[in-house]
Formats: sequence, C-alpha cells, structure tokens
Amino acid sequence: MSGGEAHVENSIWMRAVLMGGIFVAIGLLAFATMGVGVANMKHHDYEEAIHEYEDAKYAYENAKANNASEAEIASLKAAKDDAHHHEVEAHLSYLTWRTAGITILLMCMTYASFIGLGGFLNSIFPDDHGHDNHGYGGDDHEHHGSGSPIVFSLGIMLFLMGFPSFQETLGHMLSGVDADLGGLGLSMLGLLIVTAGVANWWREDLPFIGNHEQIATSDPFEGQHIRKAGLWVFIMSEVMVFATFFSSYLRMRTEWCTQWQVNAGNENCTAVDTLTASDFLRPNGGMLDGLGGQGDFMTLLPGAINTFALIISSYTIVLALKTAKTKDWQAPEGMLGKLMPTKKAAVRNYLIATFLLGSMFIVLKLVEWSHLVAEGFTIGASGTTGQAASIFYIATGAHGLHVFIGLLVMLYLIFKADTVGFDEKNGQGIEYFGLYWHFVDLAWVVIFPAFYLY
Amino acid sequence: MGEHETTGIFESLVEKMPGNFDIYFWNFVVLMIFTLFEVGAVFFDKIPGTDIHITLTWVWAILIGVGIVKGYGIAAYFMHLKGDPRIYTRTALFPVLFVLLMLWGIGLSNPGAVTELPSWCTPNWDYAVQR
Repeated sequence: MSGGEAHVENSIWMRAVLMGGIFVAIGLLAFATMGVGVANMKHHDYEEAIHEYEDAKYAYENAKANNASEAEIASLKAAKDDAHHHEVEAHLSYLTWRTAGITILLMCMTYASFIGLGGFLNSIFPDDHGHDNHGYGGDDHEHHGSGSPIVFSLGIMLFLMGFPSFQETLGHMLSGVDADLGGLGLSMLGLLIVTAGVANWWREDLPFIGNHEQIATSDPFEGQHIRKAGLWVFIMSEVMVFATFFSSYLRMRTEWCTQWQVNAGNENCTAVDTLTASDFLRPNGGMLDGLGGQGDFMTLLPGAINTFALIISSYTIVLALKTAKTKDWQAPEGMLGKLMPTKKAAVRNYLIATFLLGSMFIVLKLVEWSHLVAEGFTIGASGTTGQAASIFYIATGAHGLHVFIGLLVMLYLIFKADTVGFDEKNGQGIEYFGLYWHFVDLAWVVIFPAFYLY
Repeated sequence: MGEHETTGIFESLVEKMPGNFDIYFWNFVVLMIFTLFEVGAVFFDKIPGTDIHITLTWVWAILIGVGIVKGYGIAAYFMHLKGDPRIYTRTALFPVLFVLLMLWGIGLSNPGAVTELPSWCTPNWDYAVQR
C-alpha cells in the first residue's frame, strides 16, 4: 500500500470472522435461555391458564343451563372474564419470550453470516504488497470510486427475482413436502453475491484514512464531498418511499370510521367500522367484533421504548463522530473512563451502543407484531381492518428493514473502529452513516404518532 | 453532523445553560422531553393533577406540533442541515414538492372532495355534480 492509506494485512479480517463466531454464541445463548427455557415455562403457565378458562367457562354455562341464581351467574361470569383475561396475558407473555428468543437468534445468525463470511472472503484474499489498486489512491491520485455497488445491485436483483417463492419453498422444506428449489436457490445465490460485493466494498474502504476524498467539481454540489452529496440524494429518494406509504395510509384513513372519527363527532361515522393498530395499542382504543380496545400502558410501552431507543442511538452516533473528530481527545474520568480509555475504544464503544439500541428496536418491534397478530390485527382481518393492518405492517416493516440494514452497515463500522480506527481525517465515514441513521429516526418521528398514537 | 458553527435562538440558549454540554446534548434532551410529551398526550385523558380534559383537537395539535419540533431538531442539528451549505437543505426539501402533490391527490380523491373542498384547490367538479 502507498502512503495515502493505512497498511492493512488481509489476515486482520480474521477478527471479523471471530466477531461472527461471537454473534453465533450470543444468538444460541439467547435462544436457549429466552426462546426455549423461559418461553417453555411461560407456555406451561399459558396451558394452565387455558384450562382455568375452560373450567370457568364450563361452570358459567352450566350455571346458566341449570337456572342458577342471577347473583351466582354474575359471579361466575366475572370469574370467566377474569380467567379469559389471565389466559390472554399468559399467551402474550409466552409470545414475548418466544419471539424475542427467535428474533435474537435470527438477527445474530444474519450478523454472523454477514460479517463472518465477509471477513472470511477478505482474509483469504491475497495480500497486495505492490502498488495500490484499491481505488482509494496513493498520494498522487484521488479515490476514483468502486465497482462493488454494481455487484451488490446484481445480488439484490437476483434475490428479489427468487423472493416470491422464497417463503413458500422454505415452508415446504421445513414441513417435509417436495419443494422446487428454483426460487430459493436464486435468492440464496443473490444473497451470496450481495455478501461478496459488500465484502469487496469493505476491503476497499478499510485502509481509507481520509486522504484524497473526491470533491464535486460542478454545480450544484461544487466543492462538496461527492459521497456526502450522493448520500443526500439517496435520502431524498428515501423520503419519497416513506411519503408513498404515508400518503397511502392517509388516503385510506379518510374513508375509515375509526374510534377517533366517532369520538371526534364525524357525522358520516355513526359506528366504528375499522380498527387501526393504535386501537390495540393506546388506551381507550376502539372495539369491533370483540377485537381491540384492550390497550394500556404496557401495550404502548414497546413503541414508546423504541422511540426513545432511536433518539438515544441518534445521540450516541453523534458522540462517536464527535469523538473521532476531536484532535486532542482526553479520556473521561470515572467509570466512563474505564469503558473508554482511548479515543479508538471510545468511538468503537459509542458505535456498539448505537448497534445495541438498534438491535433492541428490532426485537421489540417483532414482539409487538407478534402480540398484534395474536390479538387479531392481521391482513386477513375482516373489512377494512385488514387494510389498516396491511399498511401498518408494510410501513413499520419497511422502517424496520431500514433499521436492520443500518445495523448490518454498523457491523463494518464497528470492525473498522476496532482495527484501523476513525479520527478527524476519516471520521466522515461515521458522519455519512449517521445521516442515514438520523433519517431512519426522522421517519420514525412521523410513523410513531401516525400509526401508534392516532 | 458537520463541523460548521451555527447561530440562532437555540444556540444562544444553549450557551446560557449550566454545565459543559454542547448543542447536540441539549437537542437530545429536547427530543426526549418532547417524546414524553407526545406519549403523555395520548395516554392521559386529563392533564395530570388537574381537571382539564385533553380533547382530540389538542391531541392532534400536540402530535403535529411535537412532530415538527422533533423533525426540525433531528434534521437541523443531528443531520446538521443548519450550518451545512444550503444545497443540502434544498436537496432534503425537494421531495416535499411531491409530498404536497400527493396530499393534494389525497384531498381530491377524498369521499367529500366534490362537495366539501374549497373551489380554489379543486379542478372543475361540475361534471361530477351534474352526473
């Protein structure tokens, strides 16, 4: 490598493979404890609650059939309702642990395969001891871009081509039915190409220490870093994507008679005909056909925690950038100083904090989804409630996917922070990722009130 | 998230705050408080400790107001649009034109569009009324 880059031996990528191994261990441990151990205990409680409810229901119906006194029937009805409430609580509690365990396992496996496989591919790549050919140039020429995004895009295209039959084939395989591997195989090939493209992209970027950042030479971004301008154009397109979801939701909502409309005295709405996610999540939500209207503090809590988690993660990534950009950084005193003894460790640990908060967001999101599905808020729900569920899962799912993609990118940033490191010269890598991460936070600022509170 | 110095009301308030905290920290604090405010507005029927009922109109106003403040805080300070060259703000705001168009479309295709929207924001609906 030339003087314009950090000297990086490809063997350093074995640390990424190690990171992958750690993720596998964490995933298996979380699944074994939460998804199996605790979840099985909760399932036992759930089964007991079902029996109690069936007994209470039988006693109530028996009393009615035998013309028992009104007081006795009322008492048995209260006991039956209580048992039903307890059964629902036990079911949701079981789902919480089971979903959390499975989600952490799947996330860790994805993290492991992404960073582990990428690291492995780069570690077996022959070291380049000659001249620079990584695109980030030596002293005499500037960074001239990379072909990796094209490889990456090809992989995405193949993945999406095979995706329609992905789930069906996987389901057939898991249930032992003869499955056509065509679609699944194409998708897996696409994922492999994506990983290879990303791994190559990482290998090109890792030695980059901030020299020769390419500058735009013409309007409208003249004098600006090309990567930053590109990122903003990308964010512009992302605004359009989320605006599409949001406008679809608003358009549909103008025709729904929700509890909100009824409460607001809309003369066209005499009764509730649609339940939205907020009817299941917030207090005093609407009820329809026995569904919804059970929201309280605990149902609103995951969404609220997620909102705080995203805001805190936005701040931790700002702290990572600020630390990287500080020339004469000094370790803080006390406990924080022990966690962050050096500038390199501080940047890495702020990134890890951001990563953990983002991961928590995904876990809570899927736990919340599992509760909503269990309570009947599904795309197959009758009437326009199915429409409301559809747009809710699409919008929040697309947002969750953006968070998850951000987490995959963050894996690399953590790896770079731990190896080459970020400083005032190459800290813009964190800045550009931060712009994306803040955008994801910004999208949540709109989604949370619109879908959870309204 | 850039390196430019900015000036404004919020910045001058931050300078007067105790402790050695920067604008990012105070922006973070404001975002947290406003989120609490947002969740509280939906959670409580009345303002805690009072008999003042929180009406739906108020909840609406709070959700929209808080959303604007939070959106501004994130875009202006965390994404550092305030302080970065104007071209980035213009890039960020460009899709708003399309968002407005979509909102207009929502209004026009609304069930009450023919009879309830003011004439200045609708095309000539006469043919629809006459049919």
